[in-house]
Order: sequence, then C-alpha cells, then structure tokens
Amino acid sequence: MLYFSQLQGKRVATENRTRLGRLTDLVFLAATQPMVTKLVVDGGRNHRYIIPISYLKKINSKITVADGFGIESLSENELYIRKNILDQQIIDIKGNKVVRVNDVAIQDKIVSLAGALTLMIAGVDVGIIGILRWFGIDETFGRLFRLLGKTVTSRFLSWADIQPLALARGTVVLKKEEKKLSRLLPEDLADHLETMSIRNITRVLDLMEEKLAAEVIESLNVTYQQNLFKLFTPERAGKLIARMDPDEAVDILLTLTEKRRDAILKTVPPQKLLELSSLLSLAKTPIGGLITSEFFTASPEETALAIRRRIGRETGEFSALSYIFAINREGQLVGAANLHELLLAAADTPLYRFMTPSVVVLHLTTPVEIAIKRMLKYKIEALPVIDDKKNMLGLVTFDDLAESMLEKFV
Amino acid sequence: MRDWIKKWRKRIILALAIVGPGLITAFADNDAAGIATYSVAAATFGYQILIIILPITILLAVTQEIGARIAIVAEKGFADLIRERHGVRVAISMYGLLFFVNLAVVVQDVSGMKAALALFGLNPTIFLPAIIVALYLFVVIARYNMIERFLFVLIAFYVTYIASAWLANPNWQEAAGALILPKGPITPRFLYVAIAVLGTTVTAWGQFFINSYVKDKRLTTEHLKYNRAEIYTGAVLTNTLCFFIIVAVGATLFANRIAVTDAAQAALAIRPFAGDFAGLLFGMGLLGAGMLGCVVVALTTAYAFSEFFGYSGSLDENFRKSRLFYATLLVQLGVAMGIALMPGVSLFTITLIANFVNGMILPIIFYFLYQFANNATIMGSYVNNKVQNALLIGSALIITLASLVGVAGQLLGW
Repeated sequence: MLYFSQLQGKRVATENRTRLGRLTDLVFLAATQPMVTKLVVDGGRNHRYIIPISYLKKINSKITVADGFGIESLSENELYIRKNILDQQIIDIKGNKVVRVNDVAIQDKIVSLAGALTLMIAGVDVGIIGILRWFGIDETFGRLFRLLGKTVTSRFLSWADIQPLALARGTVVLKKEEKKLSRLLPEDLADHLETMSIRNITRVLDLMEEKLAAEVIESLNVTYQQNLFKLFTPERAGKLIARMDPDEAVDILLTLTEKRRDAILKTVPPQKLLELSSLLSLAKTPIGGLITSEFFTASPEETALAIRRRIGRETGEFSALSYIFAINREGQLVGAANLHELLLAAADTPLYRFMTPSVVVLHLTTPVEIAIKRMLKYKIEALPVIDDKKNMLGLVTFDDLAESMLEKFV
Repeated sequence: MRDWIKKWRKRIILALAIVGPGLITAFADNDAAGIATYSVAAATFGYQILIIILPITILLAVTQEIGARIAIVAEKGFADLIRERHGVRVAISMYGLLFFVNLAVVVQDVSGMKAALALFGLNPTIFLPAIIVALYLFVVIARYNMIERFLFVLIAFYVTYIASAWLANPNWQEAAGALILPKGPITPRFLYVAIAVLGTTVTAWGQFFINSYVKDKRLTTEHLKYNRAEIYTGAVLTNTLCFFIIVAVGATLFANRIAVTDAAQAALAIRPFAGDFAGLLFGMGLLGAGMLGCVVVALTTAYAFSEFFGYSGSLDENFRKSRLFYATLLVQLGVAMGIALMPGVSLFTITLIANFVNGMILPIIFYFLYQFANNATIMGSYVNNKVQNALLIGSALIITLASLVGVAGQLLGW
C-alpha cells in the first residue's frame, strides 16, 4: 500500500536518468474501479507533463518512467487526486460534514511479467495518522504509542463508500445513507422507489450493494425496469443482469432494443451469458395467445368468509379455480392467495392478512418457455399476466401452456 | 409610489438580515485585549498614537470586506480554503499559529474581566469561573440568533468609553489634530507599540471569524452590498471608540506622566483625574469587552478547527453533532481562565507581545486573502479590484518593515 503523501514531491526521471521534475499529482478514473491513469509531473518553469501510467517503470526513492514516454491530456471521467480528493470535505449522504480527506491510499500491483505497475485508489485516510504522515512523523508517533502499550490505526474509508460522481463537483460524498434502506425488503423498497423519478431511483440504487440493487430492480414494474436499463451504462447493466434471476433478466432484456441488449450482453461473464442467450433464443413465442380471462379477484379488505361466499355465487361457470388475486382500488395486483390459504383463514380475516404480497407474474412479452420454467420453479399452476401499470390482464394456466408446448412437438 | 415603498421595504429587510458579522467582528476588535493595548499605548505616547487610527480604519474596512466577500461568494470559510488550496502542512501550521495567538488574546480578555470584577469589589476566584461557565453554556445551548443578539448587548457596553472620555475633559481640538498630523518622532519603540495597536484591531482571528460567521449566517451575493456597508460602518464605529479610549487615557495619564501596564490600572488611574464615575464606566466597558472578546475569539479557534479538519461546526448545531467544535471552545476558555487566575502572572508583557505578534503575522493573512480574492475559480466576477490589491500588498510591506524595526528595537534596546 502506498500513500499519496509519500508519492507527492518525489523526483521523476527517465530510465536513462534524465530528470523530469517532481510528481505533483495523479490522475485517476472516477469509477467503481478507480485506476490511476496518469502522472502529473512539474518540471519547473511552467512545464507540466501528464504522463500515462503505462510508461511508469518503478517507484522507489524516485519514480522512473520509460525513456520514450508520451504525454496526454485528461479524458472524460478523469480527475486529479490532489485537486479533487485530497483535503476535501467529506460529507455524508444527508449533507453532514464528517471529516476531511487527510491522505489517499493507493494499492500498487505488478500485473505483468515485465513488471508493469498498476495503481488503484483503495480509499481515503481520514485519521490523525493521515495528517502526521505529511510531516513524516506517523511512524515515530506509532512507536511512541506502542511504548505506551497502545496501537494506533488510521481511520480509513474504502473507495466503495464514496460516490465517484460527486467528486467532480468538489465534494466527497459518502454512500452511507440511513442504514434503514438496506434493512428493508427488496419488494418494499421497490414499492417505495416506484413513487420516485427515474433519476432519483438511479441515485438510490447507486447507494446499494450490487446484489441488493439487482433484487430491488427485479421487483420494480416493467416500465421502470426498462427505463432504468436505458440509463445504465452497459457495464453496470451487465453486472446487474448477471446478479439477477435469469428469467427476470431475460424479461428485462426483451424490453430493450437489440442493439442495447447486445451491448449489455457483451459485459456479462461467459457462463451467465450462455444461460441468458439460450433463454433469449426461446423468446420468439410470446404468451399473448394463451391468456384466459377466467380468474377471480377480490379487494384486500374483503374477509375470508365474504370471499368464500362470492366464489360460491360467481364461479360456477369456471373450468378451474386455484387462486384469489388481490386487486387494489387502482386496479393493481397487490397479492395472491391459494385455495388452501383461503380455507384455513378464519371467517372474519381480511384477504391482506393471508395473501402473499409478492406475486410471481408474467408480462405479455414473456416467452412461453420462461413462463413454464417459472411455474415449475415456484410450484404455481397459474400465473397472472400484468401490464406496465401492474393492472392484471389475465391468467395463464399450466395446462394451457403444456398444451401449446405439446402442439409444437406434434 | 407603492413600488417605491416595496423597493425600500425589501432593502431594509435585506439590510437588517445581514447585520451582525461586520459589526460584531469590528467591535470585538476593541476587546479587553484591545483596550489594554490602547491604554498602554496612550499612556506611553499620548495623542501621538492617534496618527495610526485612520490607516487602521481603512485597512480594517477593506480586509474585512474582502474576507466577507470570499465567504459569501465561495460559501467557504477562510480555513476551509487554506486547507483545500494549500494542503495539510500549511493548514496545520496556520492552525497552530492561530491557536496560540488566539489563546493569548482570550487570556487577555479573561484577565480583563478579572480586573474589571476586582474594580467592582467582586472576588474574581468566584465570579470569573461563574461568568465563564455561564458564557460557555449559553453559547452551547443558544442558537445563532440568540447568540448574535447577546453579542449586540455586549456592544452596547462600549458607550461607556465615550462617556469616560468626556469626563476626562480632554482638549478635543488637539486630539482631532493628532489624527492627521504626526505629533512626535517615529522611534522603533513607537513602531512596536503601533504594530501592537494594529494587531489588536486588524487581527488574524478577525479574518477567520468574519468568514466563518458570514458563512454560518448563509449570506448570499445579493447581500454583498449591504454587507459591505455594514463592515465599513463597523470599522468606522469601532475606531471611533478606539479614539475615545486613547483620548480618555491620553488626556489623563499621559498628561500626568503616569505609566500603566493594563486596562484595569488605567481604570484605577483615571479616577483621580476624571472622577470615580469615569473609572467605573471604564471598568464596565472592560467587562463587556472581555466577555465579547473571549466568546468571539474562542469561537474563531473553534470555527477554524472544524474547518481545517472538516468536522461539523456551527452555532446552529447541537452539542452532540458539533462536539469537537464546542470542545475547542471549552479548551480555549478553560486554559485562559487557568492562566488568568494564576497568582502573580504579569500581563503587561503578554499584552504587548501578544498583540505585536498578532500584528506581525498579518502579512501572512493578507497573502492568503490576496490569493483567494484574486482567484477567478473561487470568486468568479467578484475578484479584488486594483485598489484593494494595492492596499493589501502595500500594507503587508509596511507592516513587515515596521515589525522588523520594532523587533530589532526591542531586542537591541534602541
């Protein structure tokens, strides 16, 4: 581990010992992988070189770069360590001042046999040791404390806790929002998010761990999913897709244009890609023709007894009935209960007490094959089909699906 | 007509909204440390010292305006900018420097309060800690607006100096003349004392304080004009008071060749010449000035600490959130009280040296002011004009030169 305080001011020379000047700053990519991309060398008399990291040979008491080094200017998404991070105020997501960046920790790795170096920002030092390091007395201080029988460790914030995008605006913003958010269930979060604008949703998703974010996106309705994936970079989309349930992932991918879909799939790891593309190849048979309008709905407040009575009165003509779907006042599907649950419920229990709020659903675009897989996976014999607004369009039953499959083979 | 009323109403509301930082900082420049310095200076040089009042007024007005403008435009404190633009090393050094010069000022302010209490026959070992604790708790518990109103009340105490100057029955014509015409030779000793007077009026802490306080008040660029007016008014008023203090002491003590070493002595010594009442007024002013000074200067250190190291610090925030901010405040007041209550501590040497050092480091402060106020990325279109820059550079040079001569004079006994 290197620290920026130890690098800044080091002499920079080429392999044949031509002196260039002193290192004043490092350029890095403001992304989840904050690679150091360029060295900034002050050669005096207004000579400033920005040298790509690929020319870096070694770092010891001085920094050596390759003889025929080139210079470049900054590209988009690149920021300076000293100018944009060091000494800046760190604020948390609520805007509270937390502390300042006292030093920047850099992970150095030798990546090739030829000894090429890569540097990556590991995090920021916010402790007292980070201040003392600038005066070169951090180790003396540490030894002094050990004599007193105490160990001092620096306070350190990992890069994963920092929002790279806010850096360009001159503030170091933490991702730590109220811990509450990550304690909520993904479904609840999704409901909460659906009240927000797409921009704000992406902001909240950026704060979450990848796994949680993927789960939350699975629970969002299809319009939101579609819009989010239009906004994400292919890399980010690919990461999220890889973390999702493959069936859900295919559902989302089918809503995108072919060009976009291919861009995303390029970033998905090979094994996952195989699974996804085999599912996607099935996607030529949409479900539309198999929907039946023979289904039973109730309001979440309706009691078990009232529902049982209504079933007796209203469903005499049905060929089959396995589930009761809860529909709220806006006509949205909010839950489902099977007959067993209905029979077990006490007479005056309202539906919302015994229904399952997270319903496995299909969309009009969902391929038949995926619908069957989903039914088998969740052991459900009929799945509701909903539109963008979560309105229930109809039901697809297992026997209808099986029949359509059979027709293919015959 | 209605538009006209609307326009003026808006202006008055705006003006009232911004009042505070400029006046409070300016008046706190005449804190107990200031009064002590003026007293010593006036008792030593009489009206001759008045010659530096006008330059000081201009310098105070201009530097404070620059500081406030930076705070309003950049929405950052002076210490924020030093840390962000110059890194850890410079920041730590500046904080260390500021901590000690501020502590020296707070010590003088607390001592001034102690002396004032003694003048009224109140036992300082009981009343001084009581007042300090009360002040501290008040600052911790009260919100920004309350604290500001309280500081305004303390400012009212200063009227007593005008009264005591009047009671001293001075030769006003001569005093007024001394503002413009030099009345004696400029010796190294005179320069030393003059820098101390400068250093207690145009202060390092004053520059930090106005920035932080303006930022805490969340003024915006639409307030700039009013803020400038307030700062200029404050500078004129505070130096008018300075004039009266010097006149009161000069007319009595200098005229009768009585040397004093601090403000309390001056208050005592004034009595035979200007009457008991004048002495009492002088003492009351000292108490108020001490309270104002120790709160404001200790607050400055606390603001600077939280800005330099990025901790939360604001008068509007509660104790838990701004723990380090309030802890710094407590340390300054506590240490100052400890020193002031130590028996047998001579404040005479501290007073002049501390304020001389405060004056001597001004060029460093001006350097930062110059840097920030001329940086277009910070200031946009609100950068300094040529006059302001010339004044900063010119006064920095003069102060450096005068300081060197003053130090040499002290060391070599010229």
